[in-house]
Amino acid sequence: MKKFMMNLDYFFKEAGRIIRLNSLSNIFTFLGTVLVLFLLASVVTGWSIASRLVTMLEEEAEISAFYHEDVNENGVLGLVDSIDKLDGVISVRLVNEAEAYNRMEQILANDAGVLELFEENPFKAYIEIRINPGMIDSIVEKVEGFKEIEFVRDNRGVLESINSIINGIHVVGYLVIVAVGITTVIIISHMIRQGIYNNRDQIKTLHLLGASRMFIGFPFVCVGLLITVGAGLIATFIMSLVIHQGYIAIGGTIPFIPLPPEGSLVLGVTTVLISVSLILGMVGSLFGLSSVRQV
Amino acid sequence: MIELKEVSLRYGDGTLALNNIDLTIGSGELVYITGPSGSGKTSLLKLIMGMENPTSGTVKVLDKTLSELKSKDIRCLRQRVGPVFQELKLVPGRSALENVLMGIRFLEFSRKEMREYAIDALKKVGLSHKSHSMVENLSWGEAQRVAIARAIARKPGLILADEPTGNLDQDNAVNILNILSSFQQQNTSVVVTTHATHLIESQKNTTIIRMSQGTISVEKRGDGI
Repeated sequence: MKKFMMNLDYFFKEAGRIIRLNSLSNIFTFLGTVLVLFLLASVVTGWSIASRLVTMLEEEAEISAFYHEDVNENGVLGLVDSIDKLDGVISVRLVNEAEAYNRMEQILANDAGVLELFEENPFKAYIEIRINPGMIDSIVEKVEGFKEIEFVRDNRGVLESINSIINGIHVVGYLVIVAVGITTVIIISHMIRQGIYNNRDQIKTLHLLGASRMFIGFPFVCVGLLITVGAGLIATFIMSLVIHQGYIAIGGTIPFIPLPPEGSLVLGVTTVLISVSLILGMVGSLFGLSSVRQV
Repeated sequence: MIELKEVSLRYGDGTLALNNIDLTIGSGELVYITGPSGSGKTSLLKLIMGMENPTSGTVKVLDKTLSELKSKDIRCLRQRVGPVFQELKLVPGRSALENVLMGIRFLEFSRKEMREYAIDALKKVGLSHKSHSMVENLSWGEAQRVAIARAIARKPGLILADEPTGNLDQDNAVNILNILSSFQQQNTSVVVTTHATHLIESQKNTTIIRMSQGTISVEKRGDGI
C-alpha cells in the first residue's frame, strides 16, 4: 500500500499520458459519457420529483364510508374506532353534516350560492378514511363488511391511475439506469482496451521487468475514473442549470406542482451521479483491463 | 546462480533452438555468449528470463527452478534480474531518467533511493548530462546505455544483456562491455550475448560460451570470476 501511495503521482501522470496519446477518441468518449450521464441525471431528477408527487398523493389517498341513518352517536364512534384498527388505514376522521356542507362551499367557491337553494343541509355525515393506496381493495372490502356501513365511496380509478403511473415511472427509470450502466461500461472498457493496445509495448516491457498487474493496470483504472467522474461532474452541472431554469418556469406557470426544495434536489442528483460515475468508471476500467493478459 | 540441466528448446514450427544443454553460471561470473545468428543465444537468454519454457530439462535461476514457479514467483524473480533487451524496449516520449525510474518504481526502494539509484546508474553509463533528454532524441549508443542504466539501477543479482553492442561502433561497443564487466566486481553475475567476438578476445576472468546450432562449448579464462 505504501508503494502504491508512493507511485500515486506516477499513476495519474501515466493516466494523463494515456489520454493524450489518443486525445481525439478520448474527447469523443468523454462527450458521449457526459450525454449518457446527463440522461441518467434527467431520470434521477424526474424520479425525485415524481416520488415526491406520489408521496404527497399517497398521503392524500382516502375513501369515504357512509353509514346508515339509524346508527346512533356511540355506534358511529365505535365504527370509527374499528375502522382505525384495520390494516392499511392511516387515519380515520368523522366528518359531520356541517363540515361536509362547508367543504362543498369551499369547493364550489364563487358558485357556492347554489347551496342556498336547499332548505336543509343536503349532505350526510360520513367517515373519512386515509389509506395506503396499495391496500385499497382489502380495506374497502373490510369497511363494507361492517353492518352499520351503507356504502363506501372510493376513488379507486384515481388511485389505480396513480399506482400505474408510479409503476411506469419505476420501470422506465430502471430501464434507463440499466441502459446507461451498460452503455457507460462498454464505452469505458473499449477506451481502456484501446489504451492498452496503444501501450502494448510498454506493458510487455513492464511485465518482463517484473511489474505487477496492479502496477501496470492502475493508470488505466485512473483513466476510466477520470473520464467518468469528469463527465459526471459536467452532467451534474448542466442538470443543475436545467433544474434551476425549470424551477423558475414551473414556479411561475404551474405553481401547484409540489416540487422538492431545489437545493436538496441538486444535492441528491449530484450524490447519485458522482457515485454512479465512480462505480461505472471502476467497473468499465476493470472490464477493459481484463484484456491485459491478451496483450 | 544459473543452472541448466539437459535443456532443449523446440519452437512450435519445429525449429530446435537449444539441444540438450548443460550449463552452470556462478555468482559474480562474467559470461559472454557468442555465435552466429540463429545459433540460440537469444533463446538461451529468454529461457533464463522465464520468457520461454524448455521443451525438456530444467532451468534454475537465482536458486529457483523456473518450471516450479507460479506467475507471481516468476514476477518476483524478474525483479531480481537486470535485463538489457536487444531491441532496448525504452518507452518513447519519456526522458532517459523517467525510463530508468520506470524500471524500478515497483521495486522495494524508497522514493529517495529510487531517484538516487536512477541518477547514479545514468552517471555510471556516462549519461548524467542527458538524463532529461527524450529517449527518441538520443543516438542508438546513448539509448543503449539508458537501457543498461535501467538494468543496473535495479541493483540486480544478475544482469542479462542481449546483443548490447549491436549496431555500435568499436569505441561505443568497448565502452558498453567495460560498463557491464565492471559489475562483476560487485558480485553480480553478468551474461552478455554478442556477435562481436573480436571485442572479447582480450577479456580476462570471463567465461566464453560459443553456440552453434543449439549446442554450446564453454571456455573459462582465468578463474572465470
